[in-house]
Amino acid sequence: MSETEIIRKLQQGNEQAFKELVENYQKLVVNTCFGMVHNIEDAEDIAQEVFIEVFRSIHKFRADSKLSTWLYRMSVNRSLNFIRDNKRSKWFQSFEDSVQSKNAVHENLINKNTDHPGFELENSQRAKLLHEAIDSLPQNQKVAFTLSKYEELSYQEISGVMELSVSSVESLIHRAKKNLQKKLYVCYKKRCI
Amino acid sequence: MKCKTLHKDLIFFLEKELPEKEMELVKTHLAECSNCALFAEEMKKTLGILEAERSPAVNPFFYTRLKAKIENREPEIKQVFWKPELVRVLQPVLFSVLLILGIYTGIKIGQPTPAQMISVNAADQEIISFLNEMDSEPIEGFLME
Ligand SMILES: [Zn+2]
Repeated sequence: MSETEIIRKLQQGNEQAFKELVENYQKLVVNTCFGMVHNIEDAEDIAQEVFIEVFRSIHKFRADSKLSTWLYRMSVNRSLNFIRDNKRSKWFQSFEDSVQSKNAVHENLINKNTDHPGFELENSQRAKLLHEAIDSLPQNQKVAFTLSKYEELSYQEISGVMELSVSSVESLIHRAKKNLQKKLYVCYKKRCI
Repeated sequence: MKCKTLHKDLIFFLEKELPEKEMELVKTHLAECSNCALFAEEMKKTLGILEAERSPAVNPFFYTRLKAKIENREPEIKQVFWKPELVRVLQPVLFSVLLILGIYTGIKIGQPTPAQMISVNAADQEIISFLNEMDSEPIEGFLME
């Protein structure tokens, strides 16, 4: 099924079309959410909400826009909402929960390098440092940087998702990199790894 | 090039985004300054995490979980979404049944049953026989009395 056909059938309430849409875009949505929240379980939960929203509002989808642009935008917005809500409830999170979520963050990396325990630990610390640095960026810088790095989108595509000019996106990513560099340098000086 | 200048541009060097001339300057400095070279190596490793994380494993149960979530939590959506398949099949069937029923009752009403016809004819005959009886009574008889 082509993209237009999937959308047309989806608007008619065809379940097979929905299944195909999920299969085609699952990776895109989960990966984008993962870039924003750095936890695979949370990313999958948010991705499911994105797909529920897709068929709730598929009738609103206009044929002149790209389905992927729409999905990226929903993934980013849902992730930002999740981060905002999570910050509020963090006060009540138990120590055990926080340990579990940290383990989940690096599960992916560790699975890839099971034969090098030293490498694992170093990489998991490195991932934590990088995620903290990315999370400390101003929101728009973080979104632009994540779309560019995790999904390898062009500035043009990011400008479509974020509804900003291409030059604004370019400037956001430039500033994001400068800020990351600054944070990584501070850490290097402190020998935090 | 000073170490401080290098720190400002190192990330762009690693991303190969600097003009060629500046790329060369950074390269030369890194070859001479072990401190900057070490930082460059650290930063390269840390940014390399992004590449490792780029494609998380695809969860094969994602759709099953999603469908279960929809069915459990969103009955109103389920109704809108999963039913049309069934409705599309059942609607024509229901309409056909109604149409056939309609035609059948139409025929039934329009075509009076033989029993009804008999009773109507019987009533007619009763009236006729009554009139005949009147005929048979000679009018003269009244006048004579
Ligand atoms: Zn130096």
